[in-house]
Amino acid sequence: MSDTRDRSAGVELRWSPVRVAGTVVLGAWAALFWFLLVSGRDAFYLSTRTEWVVPVAAVLLTLATFGRLASARAAQPEPLRSRELGLMIAMVVPVLLITILPPATLGSFSAGKRSAVAGAGFSTAEGDIATGELTLVDVAVAQTTPEGERALAKRAGEQVDFIGFVTRYADTPADEFLLTRYVVSCCVADATVAQVRVVNVTPGGFEDNEWVEVTGTIYPIGREVIVDASMIRDVPRPERPYLSS
Amino acid sequence: MALVARGQRRVGTRAALIAAGVVLLCAVAVRLADPQRVEWVRTYLVIFGSLLVQALPFVMLGALAAALVEVFVPIGTLERLGRLPRPLQLPTAALAGLAFPICECGSVPVARRLAQRGLMPSAAVTFMLAAPVINPVVIASTFVAYRGRSTTWTMVGGRFLLGMLVAIAVGWVIGARSKDELLKPNPEEEHEHRTHLARPEARWRRFFVHLGNDFLFMGRYLILGATIAAAIQTFLPASVLMSVAGVPVVSIVVMMVLAAALSLCSESDAFVAASFVQFGPSAQLAFLVSGPMVDAKLVTLYAGTFRRGFVRALVVGVFAATLVGALWIGVLAG
Repeated sequence: MSDTRDRSAGVELRWSPVRVAGTVVLGAWAALFWFLLVSGRDAFYLSTRTEWVVPVAAVLLTLATFGRLASARAAQPEPLRSRELGLMIAMVVPVLLITILPPATLGSFSAGKRSAVAGAGFSTAEGDIATGELTLVDVAVAQTTPEGERALAKRAGEQVDFIGFVTRYADTPADEFLLTRYVVSCCVADATVAQVRVVNVTPGGFEDNEWVEVTGTIYPIGREVIVDASMIRDVPRPERPYLSS
Repeated sequence: MALVARGQRRVGTRAALIAAGVVLLCAVAVRLADPQRVEWVRTYLVIFGSLLVQALPFVMLGALAAALVEVFVPIGTLERLGRLPRPLQLPTAALAGLAFPICECGSVPVARRLAQRGLMPSAAVTFMLAAPVINPVVIASTFVAYRGRSTTWTMVGGRFLLGMLVAIAVGWVIGARSKDELLKPNPEEEHEHRTHLARPEARWRRFFVHLGNDFLFMGRYLILGATIAAAIQTFLPASVLMSVAGVPVVSIVVMMVLAAALSLCSESDAFVAASFVQFGPSAQLAFLVSGPMVDAKLVTLYAGTFRRGFVRALVVGVFAATLVGALWIGVLAG
């Protein structure tokens, strides 16, 4: 590494290994946020409401990286110690995991562990449920209030078209499955579940976690919503796998 | 030959490069093995990644604000706040959180710097606890999450009021303790401080050095916290806790424990709290107030920032004050 001289003070500046290592870590995180932004992978972690943090972080971390590099020479550089190196490596491991592994989403494993969508938290109102095209969020929200249930009940017998993934529990009959989609407010950690029961399914035709489009007739029965499927077809995982509130 | 303390061995450029090479080889091996084929591993990694992708930018913003305080706020400026009449000091510090729309991960480095720059530690901690609960973004998200319910204003007003009261109560418990009694020394900072005393560096250099140091310091604890929180989220079924939803005091305690376990961002936690319809407003308020003050990822951040005894006192203080306050608001709200 080349040395330089502080012109104002006439003091020799040398590269500080600790600062250089810190620059590498900052650069790795900056690269991750650029990667998320460019590849569109931010949709696998954040809702549309919070995705603004990705470009902000990418820019700030890039500036911090260059700033740190420009100030990485010191009159009294501190050596890099093994503990510090270990901590720096630990900070880079999540970056590597997120970038090298294929994009993944929450699946059936979490569906039974998470709470259902909370009606009042979402923009769907009874008016939206009573008219227009029904979405999975409309249905999930409707199930949480008596007014919503009443509005949804009026739609019984109508045709619906939902996209989600297949979930089966131990007690799910062979000719049924639960069509599931997660709804995210900020990040996947706060995901809640929107689900409908799909009946009239070919037994053994669909695997857990398989993404499908279900077309059929909707029958809200109390707090449960059933879709009598007329057509079920495989679809690729949507580019935005989570619904946003 | 003198023994070198564990972890203090100097690492040369070649050893560092070899370590980097080993890490890259391990990354390739992980890619080939693709552990995400196992469903719980995939779930864990998705939640772990999302916690970091959402929280790290706020740590960066917090580190940015902290570096600005460190480099550009003259020593002594913040000490002037100590001249306020004593009964006003802590409420003023708590209300300062209104002007700081950032989540809990960002408020920790700022509070640390404020205390280091001369703000009374009790006021710095009060600010740190209040800001993520009462800032306008969080209050707005709470309103959106509860709008249309009969408890909308109980939840919005209750969150603001109880958040202020709990932060002030914990600040009051700290009393006149000095920053040295609260803050853990950071070896990197001590080195930078010695370097600065030996030969002062230009402001812009100091700014970037502090920015990087704060990000790296807080980031490592956030990663540890996300590791723990993701494990809890992966394996803990929410239904386990539902059986106690109707029991008055127990339900509040359970919701505080749940908030600590889930480690949600304060800007989104209202949507999750609102989904626990089995729990009453008091228990949901406890979730909304204690969660942004004490959770799995925050405790690791606190452990890196504050001395152990203080972290213990902070956790107990937040839980006790929230429990009492939530019960009180529950009685008032009927």
